[in-house]
Amino acid sequence: MTVETGPNRDDNDDNTVLIANRGEIAVRIVRTLRRLGMRSVAIYSDGDPDSTHVTVADDAVRVGGARLADSYLDADAIIAAAQRSGAGMIHPGYGFLSENASFARACAEAGLVFVGPPPEAIEAMGDKISAKATVAEAGVPLLPGFAETSGQAMSDGDFAAAASDVGFPLLIKPSAGGGGKGMRIVQSAEDLAAATAAARREAKAAFGDATLLVERLLQRPRHIEVQVLADRHGNVVHLGERECSLQRRHQKIVEEAPSPLLTEEQRAEMGAAAVAAARACNYVGAGTVEFIVASPDPYSDQASAQPLEYSFLEMNTRLQVEHPVTEAVVTVDGSPVDLVELQLRVAAGEPLPFSQERIVLHGHAVEARIYAEDPANDFLPTGGPVLLLHEPDLPGVRVDSGISVGETVTTSYDPMLAKLVTKAENRPAALARMDRALSAYTLLGCGTNVDFLRRLLRHPEVRSAHLSTELTEQVRADVLPSTAVHPPLECYVAAAIGRQLSLHRESPSGNRFALPDGWRLGERAETTWRFQGTTDSAPVPVHLRPDDTAPAGRAFDATVADTRLGRVMVDRCAAGTELRLTFEESSVRYQHAESDGEIWLGRDGATWRLREARRLPSLRVNETVADGTVRSPMPGTVLSVAVPPNSHVEAGSALMVVEAMKMEHTITAPVSGVLTQLSAHPGTTVAMDAVLAVITPDPQNPDPERSTSSHEEHTP
Amino acid sequence: MSSGPAPGVDPESSTFAANDATNRALARELRERLATAALGGPEKSRIRHTERGKLLPRERVNAVLDPGSPFLELSPLAAFGMYGSSDFEAPAAGIITGVGRVRGREVVIVANDATVKGGSYYPMTVKKHLRAQEVALHNRLPCVYLVDSGGAYLPMQDDVFPDREHFGRIFYNQATMSQLGIPQLAAVLGSCTAGGAYVPAMSDEAVIVRDQGTIFLGGPPLVKAATGEEVTAEELGGGEVHARVSGVTDHLADDDPHALSTVREIVDTLAPPAPPAWEVRPSAPPAADPEELYGLIPTDTRTPYDVREVIRRVVDESAFIEFKAEYGTTLVTGFAHIDGHPVGIVANNGILFAESALKGAHFIQLCDRRETPLVFLQNISGFMVGRDYEAGGIAKHGAKMVTAVACARVAKFTIVIGGSFGAGNYSMCGRAYSPRFLWMWPNARISVMGGEQAASVLATVRRDQLDASGHEWSPQAEEEFKAPIREQYERQGNPYYSTARLWDDGVIDPVDTRTVLALGLAAARHAPLDSPGYGVFRM
Repeated sequence: MTVETGPNRDDNDDNTVLIANRGEIAVRIVRTLRRLGMRSVAIYSDGDPDSTHVTVADDAVRVGGARLADSYLDADAIIAAAQRSGAGMIHPGYGFLSENASFARACAEAGLVFVGPPPEAIEAMGDKISAKATVAEAGVPLLPGFAETSGQAMSDGDFAAAASDVGFPLLIKPSAGGGGKGMRIVQSAEDLAAATAAARREAKAAFGDATLLVERLLQRPRHIEVQVLADRHGNVVHLGERECSLQRRHQKIVEEAPSPLLTEEQRAEMGAAAVAAARACNYVGAGTVEFIVASPDPYSDQASAQPLEYSFLEMNTRLQVEHPVTEAVVTVDGSPVDLVELQLRVAAGEPLPFSQERIVLHGHAVEARIYAEDPANDFLPTGGPVLLLHEPDLPGVRVDSGISVGETVTTSYDPMLAKLVTKAENRPAALARMDRALSAYTLLGCGTNVDFLRRLLRHPEVRSAHLSTELTEQVRADVLPSTAVHPPLECYVAAAIGRQLSLHRESPSGNRFALPDGWRLGERAETTWRFQGTTDSAPVPVHLRPDDTAPAGRAFDATVADTRLGRVMVDRCAAGTELRLTFEESSVRYQHAESDGEIWLGRDGATWRLREARRLPSLRVNETVADGTVRSPMPGTVLSVAVPPNSHVEAGSALMVVEAMKMEHTITAPVSGVLTQLSAHPGTTVAMDAVLAVITPDPQNPDPERSTSSHEEHTP
Repeated sequence: MSSGPAPGVDPESSTFAANDATNRALARELRERLATAALGGPEKSRIRHTERGKLLPRERVNAVLDPGSPFLELSPLAAFGMYGSSDFEAPAAGIITGVGRVRGREVVIVANDATVKGGSYYPMTVKKHLRAQEVALHNRLPCVYLVDSGGAYLPMQDDVFPDREHFGRIFYNQATMSQLGIPQLAAVLGSCTAGGAYVPAMSDEAVIVRDQGTIFLGGPPLVKAATGEEVTAEELGGGEVHARVSGVTDHLADDDPHALSTVREIVDTLAPPAPPAWEVRPSAPPAADPEELYGLIPTDTRTPYDVREVIRRVVDESAFIEFKAEYGTTLVTGFAHIDGHPVGIVANNGILFAESALKGAHFIQLCDRRETPLVFLQNISGFMVGRDYEAGGIAKHGAKMVTAVACARVAKFTIVIGGSFGAGNYSMCGRAYSPRFLWMWPNARISVMGGEQAASVLATVRRDQLDASGHEWSPQAEEEFKAPIREQYERQGNPYYSTARLWDDGVIDPVDTRTVLALGLAAARHAPLDSPGYGVFRM
């Protein structure tokens, strides 16, 4: 630690910080530590020893097995790792143990500095019910609602009465929860009982605690939160707000600072409320006070003049994912702030280096979270190898990323891969910059929400800042990426050309037969590739006929299904990661990667995954494949019959046992259907191939691509 | 030899332009004919074929080959103009043969075209099938038979069935190739009747498509006639019968794609090929543009030109190390590489004299000893004739070159790039000398002598007879005598007449020469060489 810039402590160990986290936040913390001349120690599990955060840190220690409970959530192991590595401080990042009071306590007991608030503050704010009680005393406004006492569920009648006092619609939440898990919206009284029961079950299952709380549900609510910073010397400041109204599944995906909704006065008012909340729990460090804010009535001419209705939601006692938008707009005496650095200074006991008056907001910042998730499939997590990664390198764009090429994104960890943060003079410019940044972001090998984000941010409601936490769901259908539907024909061509060129790459020299140009004495032969554009779609054939007027692999005549696209010229970069196709009247450029029968194409932030159908399509539906005739595999005697005539049997189920050569052979049903004929009976002697039974197959699924007559082709 | 601007070739000259126009027209005609033949049988037959859920034979070939694999098709214009009223009565003689790549290794494919008279065997079909087997034998290439044939074309049974090189030879070849360890694989994709039944039966491993492929010695009508038994084709010899009961086939497939992918899987299980007979180096394109061949080739085979200009447009980097450049100059010999393969090139550059023949015999032995494949560029009107030359022993000198050509064990490739007349054909590795492959350019001519020469010789004999009997022979009568002779030689010496009869392995576009040779060399590379040895050279 340099005396000039680093937190001022004597202990040598305090120059070393163990980061009890992974992914982008660990990488981001390393960046600040490095700038401050401090040593960073990453942790890893058996599940992610080669992850980016491990690579970028000065040092890394293994904490345990791949399970989270054995690694990133194992407080003892992490503390032992810190001691082993000579670290004096532990930065918990966000998630994992960052809001775990007993971990904070254990750190202190082990002589380690926990970079976060005191355990008491974590406890006070960790439980939503006690948090509300705490801030209410400080005069922070709350939403109408009520809460059960921990561990004591109200009777259904009391619960219903209390709920009707709050008014519908309302929201039921687990008291112990977070992240939207177990939340239930109840529109009217008759839905209450079922929703309450379900919420209890989920709360019990997820958090081991069925205690619930109920809140009034605002219409078109907005999520606005205030960054606060407090030191051990009683100083508390706020660094303005962030608006996080763009959410999906109750989780933030886009944040911005400042909120387009607030006036300077409202900002000051909410800031003061946040500071009050922090003071109420004797907060120390960086924290975030979240508010729910009612949207102004859009039909009122006096929208901006309406009084701001805001209510305390909760306080997050840690660094937030979206802290970079605050860093982007906050200046102190014209210089930017680094929240991680400030966390470290406060943790080291230093007083805050600035007071509220010196904090000035400048410009506008937007953050978009890139998730490994499929917007078209209800935002379910995806996963896969990072085959290609292009992150934007543009002025005014900050990339906080935790992945690298070669890593595999798994569902074991948080699906957030990276954050893009853009900064500009004003909101439209920041959004425009984000559009360019997203279009310059390509990750192939694992589905992401990039194209969805890009479309979402282009939506008129987003552009005009008519935000609400429900907006994403409302406009979802409009902004679902094109990847949800069939890829454009050019994608199929690009996929086929990628496969075709991979043949060239694999070709050994010294044998003209190995040059896969379809050479013939007359016109060259076309090659046919088949791809599924979406998971369930029928394979689409792409025919490529090499153009013999161009060098091998440079030009083809392309036909997709029955659509002839004509001549296409191909330029491929040496690494094969970029394909440019020049058609008669247009040119398209794709980022390109292949893995295990999947072809990934990226273009302007959109990605497509095409699965190669290695099966040659079957030419005809053949009835005899579904032949239900059961024959004896060898001459022998029928020992037993398992099913009566005219019963329904499933394919593969046992029908009878034939004994031959002292061995018992179980005869199974070749197809599912009704056993319409049974010629074998116990004791019957049967010849080889003798008909034992006949099953009338169930009506066939009219799928022309039956697995029984399609054939796996190994690609050369 | 330098690779700078070609001496003696002026792309701006009017001769070049005239040649270019003529030769491009010939190439265009070739491509049109290839395209017509590639369609296969009449449209009606093709529609009926595909409606039965079968792939057309060329689709079958493409499906069994590796994606993008080149296919060195043999004699695609076989039977051109030979049967019936149309030139394309039996396109490709109803059978597609050639060398292609399956699962990374070169194989010979023989595919019947059932859209051409039900895939039955015309005389040229038999010849083409046998030639493909010969290519497989000489080059040690596995054989894949895609069978869909009704057997011998009965109206021409006398030219198909009885002789040594007739139908029965197919199975003889299968047995003896199998004996040599050359795999014989068959996919029964349609009929395999009578003698045809032996194609899968004689194969090492066979696939049959259920409800489509049939194998029987006698079909249902014959069975009924012979024994009165009534039976369907499927019951008599369908896939179920042969896969389940008779054991004539080893794999049961659901349809063409299944059968063809099964064949590919079988190829995966074959023993590896023999080690290569020569080393290759990285390929490099010719420095001189092969397209200039069009402007280079004279429109009249009698017009002399420097064959080195052809060589420059075929070999790697146009680099040619000439042997005995100053001696026997009417024959050009030397070393080069084609697509990385080392070759010795023997090319005519005029009439053969004693010295040229001796030089050729010497060079061929050199290549044989060095195990370097030989490429013959044939453009020869014959050996020099006349009293002095006969007295000088041109016959024995020619015989030495013929002996060398016949006995050299290295792979030989012949391209007839101009005239192929008389004994020159022998010394330059004509068909009778079993080059691994022999191709013709569209401008080439092949006959025992030139048409004009033949007309003159016959006219002289005739005049002598007339003179002896005291008859007058007017110049006009002589011209009337000579014209049909010239016409016959022109017709029979035409490359399409040749290729229809399988005197060659195909007419090729001159710009494809390098590719065709590269494919031929690659196909030939894994055949082991015998020990060197020669007959008596008459000294």
